[in-house]
Amino acid sequence: MSGFCPSLRISVLWVLGGLRFNIVEILDAKTRDKLCFLDKVEPNATIAEIKNLFTKSHPQWYPARQSLRLDPKGKSLKDEDVLQNLPVGTTATLYFRDLGAQISWVTVFLTEYAGPLLIYLLFYFRVPFIYGPKYDFTSSKHSVVHLACICHSFHYVKRLLETIFVHRFSHGTMPLRNIFKNCTYYWGFAAWMAYYINHPLYTPPTYGDEQVKLALIIFLFCQLGNFSIHIALRNLRPAGSKTRKIPYPTKNPFTWLFLLVSCPNYTYEVGSWIGFAIMTQCLPVALFSLVGFIQMTIWAKGKHRSYLKEFRDYPPLRSPIVPFLL
Amino acid sequence: MAASGSGGAGRADNGYGSQQPRRRKGPGALATTYLVIYNVVMTAGWLVIAVGIVRAYLTKGSYHSLYYSIEKPLKFFQTGALLEILHCAFGIVPSSVVLTAFQVMSRVFLTWAVTHSVKEVQNEDSVLLFVVAWTITEIIRYSFYTFSLLNHLPYLIKWARYTLFIVLYPMGVSGELLTIYAALPFVRQAGLYSISLPNKYNFSFDYYTFLILVMISYIPSKYTIMLRFCVKTVYAKLTENPSD
Repeated sequence: MSGFCPSLRISVLWVLGGLRFNIVEILDAKTRDKLCFLDKVEPNATIAEIKNLFTKSHPQWYPARQSLRLDPKGKSLKDEDVLQNLPVGTTATLYFRDLGAQISWVTVFLTEYAGPLLIYLLFYFRVPFIYGPKYDFTSSKHSVVHLACICHSFHYVKRLLETIFVHRFSHGTMPLRNIFKNCTYYWGFAAWMAYYINHPLYTPPTYGDEQVKLALIIFLFCQLGNFSIHIALRNLRPAGSKTRKIPYPTKNPFTWLFLLVSCPNYTYEVGSWIGFAIMTQCLPVALFSLVGFIQMTIWAKGKHRSYLKEFRDYPPLRSPIVPFLL
Repeated sequence: MAASGSGGAGRADNGYGSQQPRRRKGPGALATTYLVIYNVVMTAGWLVIAVGIVRAYLTKGSYHSLYYSIEKPLKFFQTGALLEILHCAFGIVPSSVVLTAFQVMSRVFLTWAVTHSVKEVQNEDSVLLFVVAWTITEIIRYSFYTFSLLNHLPYLIKWARYTLFIVLYPMGVSGELLTIYAALPFVRQAGLYSISLPNKYNFSFDYYTFLILVMISYIPSKYTIMLRFCVKTVYAKLTENPSD
């Protein structure tokens, strides 16, 4: 395949030993400027390959930030889409939109999870300039504070490891500004919670050890549940593929929540944080759980809707995030 | 201080700032009737406040401590503006819910969480400053929307809205800032709306610090609102029909 820009506007059908080639012209979706003209594009070329060709003439627009569509206001074409399967003639007109600087999901996840892990520990070890000189590097006398540190750290280590070893992302990248938004959220809340839990004037839970024990059981149960769902979702999708299938319960009892809920990973996640809130009896933790719950409900409803749209036989008993309710 | 509000019937200038596409159709007949009534009532309300201020000034002979004469209608009609958030949420007014909510809440915060809550500032002249600014702005704004909905906007009202804003908005912002500043020592002294450690919910909040942060946030937010409105003014003047 070859392509070069700027070029002559010749709509000619090349017949070369029975092999037909397509012509692809790429226009700006907003201004309709002609950005690129590719001739001799093989009909079985994928959008991904066309994006690579486009990058050659416009290196500042690497493939991840290209959105190519058939209609200026339409949906983006997928990288796997094949040119000859699209409703185009031998000359295909594609419209380009710049998605802006992109950053990989893996990078965002690692950054947004490493922050809370580190920040919490700064408060736990009471590094200087947080609580006042007489408390520097002292240790809390409450056992629940040590347990909370272990749980919080465990949670974020689990998330980091899952990002590296478990998750299979359908999109490679997201807009760059998301990393600032996401990190502010995670790092900000982590600092706010950690400040109170590790404060010298921290008050342990009202119902003492009983409350802490119950909370720990809830927390561990939900951590296991969340992990089980992540593994189940990973196994749904073979390595390197972007296929989507309906998730079903497996032999692991934690996955049986799929019978009632589309996104049990979110259900378990909220459960973990409720457990942590009960364990620490700390209002900022409860507020963080609430905000997280609202966000995850929005995501779960979206996911549930796209499952319903994509699969005719989607189990009707399932709710997005809370069995029977939400 | 709110620069603009809901009640517009899909005209070029509308609400607290619209990000929505123009192709949306205007409110139906029922919604329009309701909005006209709403805007007329609000115009009347703020006129009552205006008259109240003038009468109190003439009676007392000085412009100090006039807040008490209009305290109740001020609270009632300013709080009533919360309905405008619902107007946007239900789509009968083509403005952004977030922007409208932000501006109405800012006013309601100043009315209740500062002026009402810190009794010692009610005598301050800064209160009169923002109350007068709000009163004139709202009378013009609500009558602007009433006439717009009835498709008969007198040029005087349109002129007043876009021209007086230049003076009224900074006046209001100054009054608000000075009032918050005046409230600070009393908040500190009384520990108003504040909770400190230790307590069983392991939470703390310092209203004094919060008010200082609010004052700081005025710089970017009020400046942005002013800028937006200036852009809208220029747009309105450029698209002006000379026969209006």
